[in-house]
Amino acid sequence: MNTSKARVRSIVIWTAVAVVGAVAWGVIALVRDEQISAAWLIAAALGSYAIGYRFYARFIARKVLEVDDRRATPAERLENDVDFQPTDRRVLFGHHFAAIAGAGPLVGPVLAAQMGYLPGTIWIIAGVIFAGAVQDMVTLFFSMRRDGKSLGQMARDEIGPVGGIAALVAVLAIMVILLAVLALVVVNALANSPWGTFSIAMTIPIALFMGAYLRVLRPGRVLEVTAIGVVLLLAALVAGKFVADSKSLADAFTLSPKALTLCLIAYGFIASVLPVWMLLTPRDYLSTVMKIGTICLLAVGILVTLPVMQNEAVTKFAHNGAGPVFAGSLFPFVFITIACGALSGFHALIASGTTPKMIEKESQVRFIGYGAMLMESFVAVMALIAASIIDPGLYYAMNAPAGVVGSTVQSASSAVNGLGFSITPGALQSAASAVQEQTLIARTGGGPTLAVGMSEIFSGATGNSLKAFWYHFAIMFEALFILTTVDAGTRVGRFMLQDTIGNIWKPYKRVSWMPGVLSASAIIVAAWGYFLYTGVTNPLGGINQLFPLFGIANQLLAAVALTVCTTLLIKHGKLKYAWVTAIPLAWDAVVTLTASWQKVFSDNPKLGFFAQRNKFSDAIDAGQVVAPAKSMDDMHAVVTNSTVDGVLAALFAILIVIVILDAMRVWMKAIRAGSLPTTEVPFVESHLVVPTGRFERREEPAGVTT
Amino acid sequence: MTARHALAGVRWYLREVSGESAYDRYVEHARREHPGEPVMSRRDFERRRQDARESRTQARCC
Repeated sequence: MNTSKARVRSIVIWTAVAVVGAVAWGVIALVRDEQISAAWLIAAALGSYAIGYRFYARFIARKVLEVDDRRATPAERLENDVDFQPTDRRVLFGHHFAAIAGAGPLVGPVLAAQMGYLPGTIWIIAGVIFAGAVQDMVTLFFSMRRDGKSLGQMARDEIGPVGGIAALVAVLAIMVILLAVLALVVVNALANSPWGTFSIAMTIPIALFMGAYLRVLRPGRVLEVTAIGVVLLLAALVAGKFVADSKSLADAFTLSPKALTLCLIAYGFIASVLPVWMLLTPRDYLSTVMKIGTICLLAVGILVTLPVMQNEAVTKFAHNGAGPVFAGSLFPFVFITIACGALSGFHALIASGTTPKMIEKESQVRFIGYGAMLMESFVAVMALIAASIIDPGLYYAMNAPAGVVGSTVQSASSAVNGLGFSITPGALQSAASAVQEQTLIARTGGGPTLAVGMSEIFSGATGNSLKAFWYHFAIMFEALFILTTVDAGTRVGRFMLQDTIGNIWKPYKRVSWMPGVLSASAIIVAAWGYFLYTGVTNPLGGINQLFPLFGIANQLLAAVALTVCTTLLIKHGKLKYAWVTAIPLAWDAVVTLTASWQKVFSDNPKLGFFAQRNKFSDAIDAGQVVAPAKSMDDMHAVVTNSTVDGVLAALFAILIVIVILDAMRVWMKAIRAGSLPTTEVPFVESHLVVPTGRFERREEPAGVTT
Repeated sequence: MTARHALAGVRWYLREVSGESAYDRYVEHARREHPGEPVMSRRDFERRRQDARESRTQARCC
């Protein structure tokens, strides 16, 4: 009786969820001539996530992966007090989410808004359910079954040395491009902005203080020092306004993009060689608190103010490929631009890093792998909303490169009119002064646009007088966790480099050997610093040129991860379920290869790197300077950048092809044999009992009162 | 669920997620599994934990 009642109730609830989701999708897709409320996007997203999680993720866990809670996880078998530690699933969810979600889901959707909100929304939601969350969950599962092996190691073991090396190169390449692009976002957000620069600069002494507090004053009191840090951070934010208002101090913190670039490169180097307790760990606490806090605030803000979408559902740039933010048409570039939030290869590194070593029960890969990715996807939807509720004229004035919109409100206004949108010079000026910035023109990279959108949403709830505060709050929180990523990423890159070179020359491997540490850090910083510098100085706009490359690199890594997953499914004799990862892989490969093809071979100089190179080098031969270049030096810079970027795009495409072809060889062998042995660790009976209720707490250790 | 219960849950979650409860767990573990042996002070324990983190930095995603 009871079970059938529960069954009926479950059917009623899930039918209701499906109906709400379907109605929301209908409104988003079909309403054309009037503006719709952002609430529809939220409803479509949440409804789809619920169904994806309840049905598809469960199917994958039970039928495809056959998770087995009687099997001991590595955390149980290998428990030590360093990295193998059974961790409550809700706690681990928090750690995993904090590691996968950063600036990516906030930046990509803002840029993709140039195609309208519809393509981005569909890709974010469908992409996460069928590709991104699947990749995260399956990678997490297979790594867990192999005692937490890294993606690169699994590629080497399960595919072969060729695939393994290609995977390693892919990981290093994406790391460098990722750091350069994220640093570029920070430079564009802080350039000539004394308020932002001051408050971000203050995060360094605040983090140093927190580090010393934890090391010397009160070891282990993380919560209290984080609370102190957050208060200091907000104080720095408020103080930023006074710095910006005072004549003498404002000049000291008004830095040009080039000066900021040099500061960031120096910071990246120093931060990555300092002991982690000094700067990285405390900064990580701060940025995690700010990240979660701001995401919750944004969700509440959107739900309270229910803003109306100003952006078009689908803009003309989706078809003609002539958008100013990034070149190329909807397919494939929306799917490249929005990586984090829909499908992000980088997550595979985290899903095969510390998380698999901490899982208590196999079935939890669904909640942690799939669930955390759904949450990141929701962040991406909110970022897309924030970018779509601002005036489209303002959006293009902010996101088109300086080469298109010039540097004055007049030139920007007429350039935006030329694009088919409109904004008056006066409106541009007042938008900038509303958030106390000198200018909002050509503030590319997504950071400032998101901050304007967020200040719009928050000030809708708190009144217009706080608009400038909210703008700088958003800038600070974004810059804060980008800097954490830069620090951690440089460090991880350094470890990988030390490890790789260490295979040839032993002493280099030791993580405490100073010459090795310094030189490996310098190499990594120089690599991303190079791309950052060329991005900042590129007359064609750094984001316009580099962001597609970043997207391609990230999707390349996703291809590696999905290839490893598919290979493992086939080797385990589960060919009939291999489509679960093979279809996302095929889609990802088609998207990435098409994008690389166009970036390499397109004869449109706005799109193809080599066409661009030829256009500018021909002009150099003819002794001409072509706009937006202003001098012969600019011309030569464009030629060099286009060549480097074009070669990289080609290299990424070749790597994908190598990995997939090499894997197919293994697939054939496995299909012929029915299955092949893998490096899976044999079954060991589990004795761990874990609470399963939603709100039950694990027993507190004795001696601790609650 | 009472408010007090919920508050205790939030406190538990924050202590777990921030790693603040790691020391208590260690003490409990050490007393149970290795009775009679000396237990590290909090300062030593946290220092060891911080230093272990040095070589296994986790990448932060984009």
